[in-house]
Formats: sequence, structure tokens, C-alpha cells
Amino acid sequence: MLQKIYDWIDDRIDITPIWRDIADHEVPEHVNPAHHFSAFVYCFGGLTFFVVVIQILSGMFLTMYYVPDIENAWKSVYYLQTEVAHGQIVRGMHHWGASVTVVMLLLHTLRVFFQGVYKKPRELNWMVGVLIFFIILGLGFTGYLLPWDNKAFFATQVGLDIAQQVPFIGEQLKTLLAGDPEIIGAQTLTRFFAIHVFFLPGALFALLAAHFILIRKQGISGPL
Amino acid sequence: MHKGKGMKFVGDSRISAEKKPNIPKDYSEYPGRTEAFWPNFLLKEWLVGAVFLVGFLCLTLAHPAPLEGMADPGDAAYIPLPDWYFLFLYELLKYNFASGPYIIMGILVLPGLAFGALLLAPFLDKGPGRRPQQRPVAVGMMMLGLASVIWLTYESASAVDWEARAEENKPVAEADVEIDEEDPGFAIYENSCMQCHGDDLSGGAAAPSLIGTEHTADEIADIAQNGIGDMPPDQFSGSDEELEQLVDFIVSVNEEAE
Amino acid sequence: MSEKKQQVSRRQFLNYTLTGVGGFMAAGMLAPMLRMAVDPVLKTSSHGDLANVSLSVDDITDEPQRVDWKIDQVDGWYESEVTKTAWVYKDENDEILAFSPICKHLGCFVSWEGSEDFPDEFYCPCHGGRYYKDGTNVPGTPPLAPLDQFEQKVEDGMLFLGEAKEQGEA
Repeated sequence: MLQKIYDWIDDRIDITPIWRDIADHEVPEHVNPAHHFSAFVYCFGGLTFFVVVIQILSGMFLTMYYVPDIENAWKSVYYLQTEVAHGQIVRGMHHWGASVTVVMLLLHTLRVFFQGVYKKPRELNWMVGVLIFFIILGLGFTGYLLPWDNKAFFATQVGLDIAQQVPFIGEQLKTLLAGDPEIIGAQTLTRFFAIHVFFLPGALFALLAAHFILIRKQGISGPL
Repeated sequence: MHKGKGMKFVGDSRISAEKKPNIPKDYSEYPGRTEAFWPNFLLKEWLVGAVFLVGFLCLTLAHPAPLEGMADPGDAAYIPLPDWYFLFLYELLKYNFASGPYIIMGILVLPGLAFGALLLAPFLDKGPGRRPQQRPVAVGMMMLGLASVIWLTYESASAVDWEARAEENKPVAEADVEIDEEDPGFAIYENSCMQCHGDDLSGGAAAPSLIGTEHTADEIADIAQNGIGDMPPDQFSGSDEELEQLVDFIVSVNEEAE
Repeated sequence: MSEKKQQVSRRQFLNYTLTGVGGFMAAGMLAPMLRMAVDPVLKTSSHGDLANVSLSVDDITDEPQRVDWKIDQVDGWYESEVTKTAWVYKDENDEILAFSPICKHLGCFVSWEGSEDFPDEFYCPCHGGRYYKDGTNVPGTPPLAPLDQFEQKVEDGMLFLGEAKEQGEA
């Protein structure tokens, strides 16, 4: 039965070569921790992706309870954390996952840097990776505001003040982010929510796809 | 694969009519000590992932995500602090060369140089050698950047009393505590404590909430007379009997709130 | 190490283990999230308090009258006051009956003698649904069940109403 469904689909879109290519590609000896223990450094990238998956899933589930509104945001988070079964765990996963993502991403970046992997022909993939780093930091900054507690509010105020100091376009930049030239409030929260939940993840997905396609196409860099 | 003339397609599509058999490559086709991604290598990766996940869940269970009180834009006493991975930028702006008239330095030039160099590393470090000792400049810059980020983060973080901070900003549970204003302790509270700790014991700008306090009765009596932290001593002046009534009153409100 | 002689080949074994580890990771990740998502389904209803509707039992006649009262509703993190309505009267045996005005057809608002054409009946303006005075639906009109009845009690001569329950259950 399953085989028949598979054949039916394969007949129409020819998926076998695509996933056989991924499944059967050779993994070289020097990245295999079974042969060289030091090869665990090659795990950082995969683990970063794993935490990002945790972030995406826990974030999706958190929006079931969260409202991006200054009256209710904090209350909904407090309710989620105190009243909903396992709500504290899921919020904990998202909260600590953000820190762990940054840590793993940093380790991955350092591994790639010190091995000199960004040299020809992998310049593009390095740049895609650095962009992913920026996106992750952006996600951290915008996500920080969402619980609408004191920590969130005042840290965002500082962040927006920094944006305001940028010469020439500072005021406009701050207004663009905050939604209002003076107030950090209702419009700021909805903006940060939209950026955190739709815009940055959208960009992240595109960049991650590019990152993986490039790795598969160029292969893992050779041993030093 | 068959290409070009004579190729058969499914219908009028671009899908080849000749199917590739869905058979994995034989292990003998992997030269040397290479191995197949699926299932051999992926299993190793996922084992690492599973251990990682267990550790991560333990962290999550041991430390619930912090949540401070609801944002109060009027709270002038609050000292803002970003998440730890922005602390280095926050600390950088405290230096003279990166603030005041040189703020551009702190918010644009230095971070711009650092992150710009990171982004453009492949074009700044063009030599063919990949080993760290073959590219001392690039590695040196990276070490310098890394060291300064770590140092700035440490400087910033070590100046903060994290536990006191978390304690101070704990969200106040919205428990409906009924304050018994007939209690003899309430009159004493009204005279000695209410101005700072609020008429419902929930605290104010200058003092924390007394509801949910972790101090014992003896400690409360001591604090009322000798103060603690920012609280000056001798807030309470009265007889020992009155002190006892006051402590009983605060303890009773706490018991009710639980 | 010929694969053919073994009952489970090395590749198969690895595949099973891989699926197992993958399943463990997916479960570890998703279990708390799914538990959180289904929490409202598993929560037992905390309602059940009967509310004083400010209507003296002596004022209840054999003619259904509309009673409005307010209850505090807690909806997750949002607390509000909602108005509830009932049609209340005493039947021949002097027992108090309190019917929910929600039509069992599609949830419109039913009124006592809401139509001049049908005296002594509850009438629903949306699709012409009708109920007899005892709450039973008139056969041949859209509703398929009798009106819901409120849980009730009388204390100190005042009427207290709770949740609307389906007939037969109450």
C-alpha cells in the first residue's frame, strides 16, 4: 500500500533521485567522530539547526496562548506560565533555546573560521552564514520585548535609543521600528511581534535553504 | 542518466519516464573509511542530538524562564539590561571613546567594522592557506575581537547582582489578599511601614512587596528595627508587644495569600 | 560479514536505530508542546457556582418572565462580566423552571410569545422555531431538542441559577 502511494508520487514528480542523493552521499572520514574524536566540532552546525527547529516548534505552540497587545501580552504570558500545564516548560524551551542557539551558532562560526573554510569556493556560503547570524541576533532582540515585562520594555527602549543615534536616518529608523516617534507601546509591540514571527523567520528559512543547498553542492571541506 | 534525444517523459511533463530504482548504494561503493550519510552517519549525529536534547530539557526544567513584573514605563528606578548576548555592545557604549560626542564610534564604526569584517572575511583573507598559522592576521583579528567581546560581556555581567535583580523584579501574584484593618498590627503597619510598602503590602517604587516575602517572623522583626539593603533602620519604634503584633500581622497576610 | 547470511542486515539495523533515535528526539521535543496545546481539553470545568439572579421566588408567576443577571467570567487571562438570560416561571406543581433562551436549532435568541401567531409558545425569530411552555420543541419546526434548563436552587427566598444543562440531564 505505502509502496503503491510512493510509486504513484514518484511516477509524477520523480523524487527518488533527490532523496537518494541525500541519503547515499559519502561522508568523509575526517568529519566522523567514530574515527576521530575531535570531529565532534563538526556537530555544532547540525546542533544549531536542531535548536532552531526547537525554536520554531516551541514558538508556534507559544502563539496559541500569546497576544501581542500591551494590555494582555504580559497577562497571557503569566497565565501560560502559571496556569497552563507544561506552559512553563515550553516557554522555558523557547527562552533558553534562544541563548543556546546563539552559543551553538558562535561555536559553529568559530569552527568554520579557524579551519579557514570560507576560502574559495565557499565564500558565498560563509556570507550566507554570517547573514543567518545577524538574523538570529535580530530574532533575539525582537523576541526579548514580547513578554512585555520591565526587562523587555527597558531593554527595548535602550535598543531603540541606540537606533536613534544613527546619523541622518536615526529618527526615521527608530520610528520605523517603534511605529511611533515618541511612544514605545502598542504599535511597537505589534511591530516587533510581526518582525519576530513572520519577517525574520521568513528570511531565516530562505537563508537556511541556501546554506544547505550550497553545502550539499560543494561538499564538506577537506581536512586541514 | 540518459539525456537528449530519445528521452522518454511522463505525459507532456519534464519528468523522465525511466525510473531510477530506489535501491541504496552498496556499502562496497564507499571508498576508504567514508560512509553513507543515511543511515550510518546520521545515526551518529542524531545520537549526539539526543544527548544534547536531554541536556537541554534538563536545563529547561531546572531553570524556568524568568518573567518580571508587567512593563511599567513610569518606573524610573529600573535599570535596563539587555539579553546576555548584547551585553558587550551595551558595555562598549559606557566607554568615553564610544559615547557622548563619539557615540557614532560605539554604535556604528566599531560594530560595523567588526561585523563587516566578519561578513567579508573571505575577501579580506585571500591567501590559499587554510591552516591558522598560515593566516596570522585573520586569526589574530578574530582572537582580538573574540577576546574583547568576552571581556566586555564579563565586565558588564560581573557588575550586576543577578540574584538580587531577579528577586526585586519578581512578578507580584495578583492574589486578592484581604487586609484585616481591624487587626491591631494594621494600625502599627499604617504608622511605620505603609508609606513605602503600600496600603495593601504590595510594595511601591521605594520598597518591595511584603506579600510573598521569604523572611521568617524573627527576621521581619529584625528588619523592622534595623533595616535591610536600602531600608534605613529604626523604621519601627514602639514596644516589643507592638512589634510582635506587627510581625504577626505581616505573617498572617502572607499565610492568607498562599 | 556477508549481509545475506544475517537475518537483519547491518543497514536495516542502523535504519531501525535511526528511526528510534529520531522518534525519541521528536517525542522529547513535542511532548511538552502538545501537552500544552491540548491543555484546555483536559482542564476540568471550574464552573458550577450558582449565582443569585436577584429575583425573589414570590415574584415568579406561571407566566414566563425574562431574567437577566451578570456573572464574572474568567477566559484564560481575560476576566469580564457577562450577562446571562433565562425564562423563568412556576409550573402547575409550583416548581420553578428556568429555560435557556438559546434556540437548539442554530443558537438564536428565543422569546416567550415572541410571535403573535403563536401564543403560549417560545418563538425563535431566525427560522420560526417553536417550543411549548415546558420547553419541548414543537414537532415540525426546525429545533430538534427541547430548550436547555438551568441548574437552580432557592436560598433565603431568592432564586440562584447556574449552568444551562440539556433536558433530561438537569
